[in-house]
Amino acid sequence: MNAVIQETEKLPVASSDLVCEIQQLLYREARLMDAERYDEWVEMLADDIHYHMPGIETRYRRDKTDQVTDLKRMAYYNDGLEDLKKRLRRLETGTAWSEDPATRYVHMIGNIEVEHTAKADEYRVYSTFIAYRNRNERDEDCLYGNREDLWRRSPTKGLQLVKRRIILKQNVLLSKNLNIYL
Amino acid sequence: MKLEDLNPRRDYSSFMDLDEGWLSRRIFHDQDIYEAEMRNIFARCWLFVAHETQLPKPGDFLTTYMGEDAVIVCRQKDMSIKVFINSCPHRGNRVCFADAGNARRFVCNYHGWGFDTAGRLQGMHEEYCYDPGDIDKSKWGLRQVAKVGSYKGLIFATFDPGAPSLEDYLGDYRWYLDCIVDNDEGGTELIGGCIKSIIPANWKFGVENFIGDAYHAGWTHDSGTRAMNDGNPFPPVDMENSFHASANGHGHEFGLEGVGNIFLLGRPKVMDYYCSVLRPRMAKRLGEQRSMIFGSVASASIFPNVSYLPGISTFRTWLPKGPMHLELRTWVIVNRDMPDEIKDEIATGVMQTFGPGGAFEMDDGENWENCTVNNRGVVTREERLHYRCGIGRKLDHPEYPGTIYRGQYNDANQRGFYRRWQDLMNAGSWADVPDRGGNRLKGRETRDLHKGLLSL
Repeated sequence: MNAVIQETEKLPVASSDLVCEIQQLLYREARLMDAERYDEWVEMLADDIHYHMPGIETRYRRDKTDQVTDLKRMAYYNDGLEDLKKRLRRLETGTAWSEDPATRYVHMIGNIEVEHTAKADEYRVYSTFIAYRNRNERDEDCLYGNREDLWRRSPTKGLQLVKRRIILKQNVLLSKNLNIYL
Repeated sequence: MKLEDLNPRRDYSSFMDLDEGWLSRRIFHDQDIYEAEMRNIFARCWLFVAHETQLPKPGDFLTTYMGEDAVIVCRQKDMSIKVFINSCPHRGNRVCFADAGNARRFVCNYHGWGFDTAGRLQGMHEEYCYDPGDIDKSKWGLRQVAKVGSYKGLIFATFDPGAPSLEDYLGDYRWYLDCIVDNDEGGTELIGGCIKSIIPANWKFGVENFIGDAYHAGWTHDSGTRAMNDGNPFPPVDMENSFHASANGHGHEFGLEGVGNIFLLGRPKVMDYYCSVLRPRMAKRLGEQRSMIFGSVASASIFPNVSYLPGISTFRTWLPKGPMHLELRTWVIVNRDMPDEIKDEIATGVMQTFGPGGAFEMDDGENWENCTVNNRGVVTREERLHYRCGIGRKLDHPEYPGTIYRGQYNDANQRGFYRRWQDLMNAGSWADVPDRGGNRLKGRETRDLHKGLLSL
């Protein structure tokens, strides 16, 4: 009996068409971010988006402090749509002196996995990223991490990002700032 | 490799003239000066190591640095705090690798030497290999700091047994520090853990920026201010009714309008809470003056390397990592008695403004980096830097403790910081370090001195 229930609850494997569609979506998103095309990026975000990148402390294995899902802990990003738009407005002012000359970005996205969820129009998407930045003469750094997304298919706007959790692999952020989205 | 000179007595006065208002760029670059700073400043001064609320239970610990010395800060069974060096006395390996947690003991990975939470050596792997007389365990514990002290929740430690008491070290600055750590009955807490980042800049640039550099804010942070506040520019600064206050190297620059920093946080609910709930309580507790100093456009640093923004609630320390790097550690400081909703709003606002991805913080690192690395040029680093802004605006203020200058666009607190730097760098011991009028409130509870010097 139990086996049958589990069987019926089990969600179908994502089709290659769906996987391909979402891969292309993530690549497009990365390309927009590489080019600072944030107006178009924002169009990909759902109105109820939660964009979260927690700070990760170094802790012993036995320490069960929830560093990932506890939203009261310090985070690089813990934003809704309005919060993200506020951050992005900084670039639009024309007085963000440290952004001129512009930073050169590459976002590389890999290890993409797509899963159905209990909601037919929502997909859980896992991916990894390498984000490279180079500025001015020889200023450069590289960020590596995992992402866990929830994408929702809207009848009018296509696939929209509803949730993203980004886990950066650094304890001390080895960069002077985060003028970047991941 | 050269042999380290353990007692470098040099005259560091030649690197600056604070009466004229200039500094040599070499102090932001030179490796030997940096090493002397570690010995003459960081191994001497009281350094912030933790907030009481980070270590609520016995066995709670966190790791940090005093200068470049790694230390463990640990709550004891009797609720006192011990601070000891995070290095095994056997071969020197680190004994704790976590940022924070709860421990019953610290055990070295190398040979299994185990220490209790007070740092005492308890035993080791295969202890039988030590014959009687080989080791006196009571003498081979983790090296303790000389003194640990606490001021209204902030825990400090010093390696120097000759250091003045923490209260005397903070001196008149306590009157200003109370604005943030003692403005409500329940005291403060640091919430949500710590964000750390590396900035390729000399540690002093972070400290001096917060100690007095209101001047940069309207220009450097124009974009951040407009982004966070619906396009509005930086709040106007009233040069008549704003001040620099410096006491033995610590400094607080502020206005009297009460709302500028709270506005910059960009959280209307926090503004409501401060203005309608907290300010009346603050006025009763600290006096009218300080209830308007709090929340104004303001910034502050405790010598040598702690900074905070009253009203924006970022609290941070700048850990030196060589002359050309610093590690920034930031926390959110709130009052324990605030409603959870307000604490959450403040935390969100701090992350959006003064986290590494924050609308304000983002522009600072880049500036300090380039102030530092340009000194690689041998000709460039022989040049002076200008620190003379407002040098004629000193005044004898009847109420405000410390050395006071009018107009918060000023280099006065920065000059005060480097005056203390010079005093410590030139001194052979604490006995040689002059008190430059920074402790007139000695022995008094500064919370109760509502009118500052007039209350004496």
